Amino acid sequence: MESLKEDLKKQIIEQLNLEDLQVSDIDDDSLLFSADGVGLDSIDALELIVLMEKFYGIQVTNPEEGKDAFLTINTMADYIEKNRN
Amino acid sequence: MTYIGAEEIISPLGQNIQENFLAVCENRSGISLVPKVGFNNEDLHLAKMTSLTAEKKFEFLLVDMLENISVQIDPSVISSTKTLIILSSTKGDLDRDISNPFDPAVGALVKHFNLKNQPIIVSNACISGVLAINAANNFIKAGFYDHIIVIGCDVISDFVLYGFQSLFAVSALPCLPFDKNRSGITLGEGCSAVVVSNTKEIFKNLPLELLSGTSANDANHISGPSRTGEGLYRTIQKTIRQNNISADEIDFISAHGTATIFNDEMEATAFDRLNMANIPLNSMKGYFGHTLGAAGVMETAISMRMMRNNLLIKSLGYSEAGTSKSLNIATENRPSELNTILKTASGFGGCNASLLLRKL
Amino acid sequence: MSFITACCQISEEACAVNGNVIVRKDEQSADSWFKQLYKELALDYPKFYKMDMLAQAGFLASEFIKKAFPELVSSYADDEIALLFANSESSSDTDIRFKESFQKRKSPSPSLFVYTLPNIVLGELAIRNKFYGENMFAVFPKFAPEFFLQYGSVMLATGSKAVLAGWLNILKGKVEVSVFLIEENKADGLPFNKENIIKCVGLADQA
Repeated sequence: MESLKEDLKKQIIEQLNLEDLQVSDIDDDSLLFSADGVGLDSIDALELIVLMEKFYGIQVTNPEEGKDAFLTINTMADYIEKNRN
Repeated sequence: MTYIGAEEIISPLGQNIQENFLAVCENRSGISLVPKVGFNNEDLHLAKMTSLTAEKKFEFLLVDMLENISVQIDPSVISSTKTLIILSSTKGDLDRDISNPFDPAVGALVKHFNLKNQPIIVSNACISGVLAINAANNFIKAGFYDHIIVIGCDVISDFVLYGFQSLFAVSALPCLPFDKNRSGITLGEGCSAVVVSNTKEIFKNLPLELLSGTSANDANHISGPSRTGEGLYRTIQKTIRQNNISADEIDFISAHGTATIFNDEMEATAFDRLNMANIPLNSMKGYFGHTLGAAGVMETAISMRMMRNNLLIKSLGYSEAGTSKSLNIATENRPSELNTILKTASGFGGCNASLLLRKL
Repeated sequence: MSFITACCQISEEACAVNGNVIVRKDEQSADSWFKQLYKELALDYPKFYKMDMLAQAGFLASEFIKKAFPELVSSYADDEIALLFANSESSSDTDIRFKESFQKRKSPSPSLFVYTLPNIVLGELAIRNKFYGENMFAVFPKFAPEFFLQYGSVMLATGSKAVLAGWLNILKGKVEVSVFLIEENKADGLPFNKENIIKCVGLADQA
């Protein structure tokens, strides 16, 4: 699980072109879509959908499901664990 | 007083303003289904100029446009030291040189027409055209130039098409501005120009009056339209106040109307806040697609023809109200006294701009 | 009468405010040069990391000016500060990266695409500072001081009380950034004229 979270952070940094951020800058429970957290927005949500399919083979078709899943690194990791086979 | 005239358009609907305005009067669209152009090789609707295949197409469009303009005004104006060209474009000739999208074409234009002043390129997303016309007006009022030719031009590229596809912003059908079933933009390409001047006599046809225009930012989001329409609300309010015009003096609004869910909703919200919801309004995107940096100039040019002919042109693609605030969208062509009109534009970067035109 | 009351220049290795170097690039640092500058400002604005370099450049230079003049934003109404920016490279740096996303990586990146317009930096400054005023982004083959002088004067004559102006070139590692503030009716500062614009931008050789 811990390595999955590390991977996720790396993948988010790459997919969202956040080169200036390091894995250590993102906490497992910081709110990805909050201005006080990582400050992602709806455009970045599109990137996360691409990321889920590219790296984990998971298709997020229900945007509401995406909203809950993309809350934090922790929720993303849980979502991946539950949905990948 | 600042005059505006000599409006011109080159688009899929024609090589000059006459052909374009005729097509629009007949409610013909330049949009067609183009095979295998999408990122996944899908067929997509585009307002594409099929004749436009040369490598230097962007440059050729600019040269053709200035040729068109030269027959509508005193031809000596073009190479005068008191004349400036402002080019409005978002991506220029990106396919020719991605690191230098404007210089080669603009340089060729300068050489071809012996232009005396280095052209200015306004690259301010989808408000570029309206902003460029406003800048022209401001430059002339300040006395820096006597005449300014504003040319708006953008061509379709994989770059821009794939970009809008990546945002899920491209409509599967020809775009449906302000309609309930709208689902995104249809990209278009073309070139348009207007001449802004302090001298009425340079125009072969009677010009119109260009009133001062303004811009305002939403200060909200770089790609998402403001939910309150704040920037659009502010620029329109500033523009009408600066000119001492009230909403009931405006006969028609040439709106931006890209046909994305959020843009059209934003515009409806702003017009409603301004008590302008009952003013007849259209979007030209159903005819020309979204031509980005050319759009503001092209839609101003069509509005000028509408005023000259006192003819309200219907908003193509609209059939059923689809915004939370209702608007008075033109559903058919009809004769109408058009003395004062408002043109608006909104774009990425949260920018909004507006201008007013009035008959002499 | 209008005056240039503040300026910030950022090159590949140094950042200067009003002509005095305040930060030099630490070549040993693991952080990029712009991240070093962001840390120097000690701000909490994570959106910085999402911006492309053009937007970061405008953001950093304007924040250094604000740091030198903390009352700047609050002394004007929210639509009185106009933004007047220009460059010669448009958004080419990010355009190249977006093109790579669909040509090499076979997946057009929406988060890159939204930065493929040069005026996005104006949007970022407007969001950061709640600026609802005038915007203008223009592109020239080389630095054009006359444009800043002419259009800056136009903006001040048509309702704006101050103009935040910038010449920002970012391409393939090149960093050529100057942001300067033009204010009306200020007693101190450099008179707003062509010579002083060239001085502030530090590109006498190109002008």
